[in-house]
Amino acid sequence: MKRTRVVATGVATSLTLALALAACAPADEGGSGDTGGTPEAGDITLWLAGSDTSDELRQYLVDTFAEENPGSTLTIEEQDWTDLVTKLTTALPDAANTPDVVEIGNTQAPTFTYAGAFREISPELYEELGGDKLLQSFVEAGSIDDTKYALPYYYGSRYMFYRKDIWTKAGLEVPKTLEEFGDSVKKLQSKKQSGFAIGGQDWRNGISWVFANGGELAVKDGDQWTSTLSDPNTVKGLEQWQDVFEGASNLPPTAKDEAYWDFLNDGTDGEAPDGATIMAPGWARWSLGDMTKNDKGEEVRDGMADDSKFDIFALPGVDGGVAPVFAGGSNMAVSAKSQHPELADNLLRIIYSDEYQTMLAKAGLGPANSDFDKLMTVDEDGNPNKFGEVTVETAQASKLTPAAPGWAAVEGALVYEELFQKIAEGGDVTAIAKEYDAKLTPMLNGQAG
Amino acid sequence: MTTATPASAIAIRRRRTPATPYLLLLPAVLILLVGLGYPVYWQVVTSLQQYGMMQQFGAPPTFAGLDNYARIFSDDRLWAVVGRSIVFCLVNAFLTVAIGLGLALLMKAVHSAVRITMQVVLLLAWATPLVAAVTVFRWLFDYRSGVVNWLLVQIGLDQYQGYAWLAQPLTFFLVATLVIVWMSVPFVAMSLYAGLTQVSEEVLEAARLDGASPRQILRHILLPLVRPVLAIVLLLQIIWDLRVFAQIRLLQDGGAPVSETNLLGNFIYELGIGSQDFSGAAAVSIFVLLLTVLLAAPYVRSLMKEDAA
Repeated sequence: MKRTRVVATGVATSLTLALALAACAPADEGGSGDTGGTPEAGDITLWLAGSDTSDELRQYLVDTFAEENPGSTLTIEEQDWTDLVTKLTTALPDAANTPDVVEIGNTQAPTFTYAGAFREISPELYEELGGDKLLQSFVEAGSIDDTKYALPYYYGSRYMFYRKDIWTKAGLEVPKTLEEFGDSVKKLQSKKQSGFAIGGQDWRNGISWVFANGGELAVKDGDQWTSTLSDPNTVKGLEQWQDVFEGASNLPPTAKDEAYWDFLNDGTDGEAPDGATIMAPGWARWSLGDMTKNDKGEEVRDGMADDSKFDIFALPGVDGGVAPVFAGGSNMAVSAKSQHPELADNLLRIIYSDEYQTMLAKAGLGPANSDFDKLMTVDEDGNPNKFGEVTVETAQASKLTPAAPGWAAVEGALVYEELFQKIAEGGDVTAIAKEYDAKLTPMLNGQAG
Repeated sequence: MTTATPASAIAIRRRRTPATPYLLLLPAVLILLVGLGYPVYWQVVTSLQQYGMMQQFGAPPTFAGLDNYARIFSDDRLWAVVGRSIVFCLVNAFLTVAIGLGLALLMKAVHSAVRITMQVVLLLAWATPLVAAVTVFRWLFDYRSGVVNWLLVQIGLDQYQGYAWLAQPLTFFLVATLVIVWMSVPFVAMSLYAGLTQVSEEVLEAARLDGASPRQILRHILLPLVRPVLAIVLLLQIIWDLRVFAQIRLLQDGGAPVSETNLLGNFIYELGIGSQDFSGAAAVSIFVLLLTVLLAAPYVRSLMKEDAA
C-alpha cells in the first residue's frame, strides 16, 4: 500500500515536472499538453458526505465526467458525516491520498478554508459556475475576503411539522408570530405529550430563536471574532427559547437533535403521539405519516399523505413573516493538494451545469444556483408542492453559523450543546451567556481552548 | 576450558552466542519500535510544539517548549477530569474484583452442572462486542422506551416515567459502571476461580476440622493463597478502567452533559480530534502515560519479584 503511494507520488511528481518542462520548451514531441485546454488524463476522486446525493445523481456525475473527459474516470466515495472532519483533517494534507473534490458541511467549511486546505477558485471559474447566482451565504462560508475556496453544493432548511388533528382539536391555528407559536405549543403540552418536542442540546434548531430576535452568535471585527451571546437581542432569543423548552417539551435537557419523527407519528396500536409539533429538515417528511406498503411490499410511512392529520408551516418571525432558521447544507471544494486540478475543475463544471442543478432541485435538495429554486416548488406534474415552497421560503430567510476559523472546533468540542443544555435546565441566561462568551471567543479565532 | 585448543574455543563461543534467539527477537523489537516507539516520539515532539489545524495543513510548527504543559496543567478542566477518572477507575476496579471474587467462590461451591452454566454465561458476556453491549444498556435505560423505567413505574415508582438516566453525571456514571463492571467481571471471576482450584483440599479440610467458620477460611486461608492472582487482576483492572474511552463516548452520544462526564480518554479526544488542538492533546496523553506507569509500577514490581523467586 505504502509502496504504491510512494510510486504514485513519484510518477505524479515526474509528470508534473514533465509538464512544466514541456511548457517551457517551445516545441516538443506533441504527446502531452499540445492543446491548452485538455488536461492530462487521470482518475479523480470525489468525497460525498452522507447518502443525501442519490445513486441517480452519482451515476450522472460518473457518466458525464467520463464522457466529457476521455480517458479519465471519476470515483465517488461516500464518507460518514460523523467523522468527516477527522477524515478530511488527515487526508487533505496528504498529496498521495487526498480526494480531489470534497463535499463538506457548510459550518465546517470556514475552518478548512482558513487552514489552506482548498484550492482557490479563480474569479473566471467562479463566474462560469454561476457567480452571484450561487447561494451567497454559503459562498461566504468558503471565502476569505474576496477569494473563493468552497462553493455551495446544496441547501436544506428546517421547518415545523405538526399534527393538524391535535392542533385543530385544541382549537389552534397555524401561528402568525413566534410568540403565538410559543403560546400554542405550551397549550398543547401534557404529561404524556410534548406540545413541541425538542431536545435541550439541540442548538441547531434552537438558534432560530436567536436569529429571529435579531441576535448574532458572533461578529467579526477586523481580523478578530467575538462571541456575542451577551448581546441583548441574543439573550432575548435564548430566553424565549428557554421559555418554549420549559413549557412545551418533555424531552430531557441533554437530548440531542434526534429522530423527532418518532414523536409525531402515532404510537404502537394507534396510541396518541408523544409530540404535537417538531422542527426538522425537509426530508423528515419521508419518515412521517401513516403506515403503507411501497412497490416492493415493504412497510413505509406514506410521506404525510393525510393532510388533515399531518401538515407543515414555516417557523414564524417575531413580527410575523418567516423566522430566519439555521440553513443546513454543504459546500464543494477542490483539495489544495489535488494532483489533477484541471480535471477537478471540470467536475465542478458538471456539478454547476444546468442539467445537474435541475436534477438536484427535483430530488428535493436546494440547488446552489438560485435560478433553479423555482423547480423545487412544483412536483413532477407541475402542481404546486407545499414542501418545496416552504423549503425555498425558509431557505431565503435562513442564516448560517459564524464563518470563523475555529467554528469546527466549537462544534467538535460540543460547546453549543452544553450551552443550550444549561439554558434548558433553567439557568440564568445572562450569566450563562457571559460565561460562554469568554470560552468561545478564543476558540472562534482558532486558539486552543 | 582455558586450555582448550583454538578450534574448540571457537566452537564453544559459537554455542554460547547463537544468532537465532536474537533473530527471533528482532521482529518483536521492530514491531514495538514502529508501533509504539514512533507514536510516542511523535507525541513527545508534538507536545513541545504549537500544533493545530494550520500546522496539519503545512504551516511549519513552532517550538513551544513546555507551554502546552503549562497551559493544560493550569486548566481546571484537566484536574476535574483527572480526579473523576481516578475515582471512577478505583470504584470500578474494586467493584469488579469484589463481584468477581464472589462469583468465583460461588462457582467453587455449586454443583458442576450449575458451574458450567455459569461459566458459559460469563464467557458470553465477555465475548459480547463492546459497541453492542453499550447499545443494549443505552436501550435498557432509554428515557422514553427503556425497560428499566417501565419496570420502575410498574412497581409504583411513578417519578421514573421518562426519567433521563444519562442526563445527570451521577446516574450517567451509574449506568457506565454497570456496563463496565458487567463486561469485566467474567475475566476476574474466571481468573480467580482458576486460582481457587489450586488451593489444596487438605488445607481446607484441616481448617474445617479445627472448627474454622467459612468466613475465617475465606479470610485466613483462601485469600492469602490466591493473593498473587488477586493483586494482579486488581492492578490490570485499574489500568484498564483508567483508559476507558469507548463506553463513555457511546453513552455520551445518547445525550449527556458531555464536559461533566468526560474521563481522560474522552478529554484527549475532545481536545485533539474535536477541537484540533493536537499539541494540547499530545501533552495530556504524555501525562496519562506517566500516570499509567505510576499505577502499573506495583504490578511490574510484583511480576519481577515472582520471576526472581
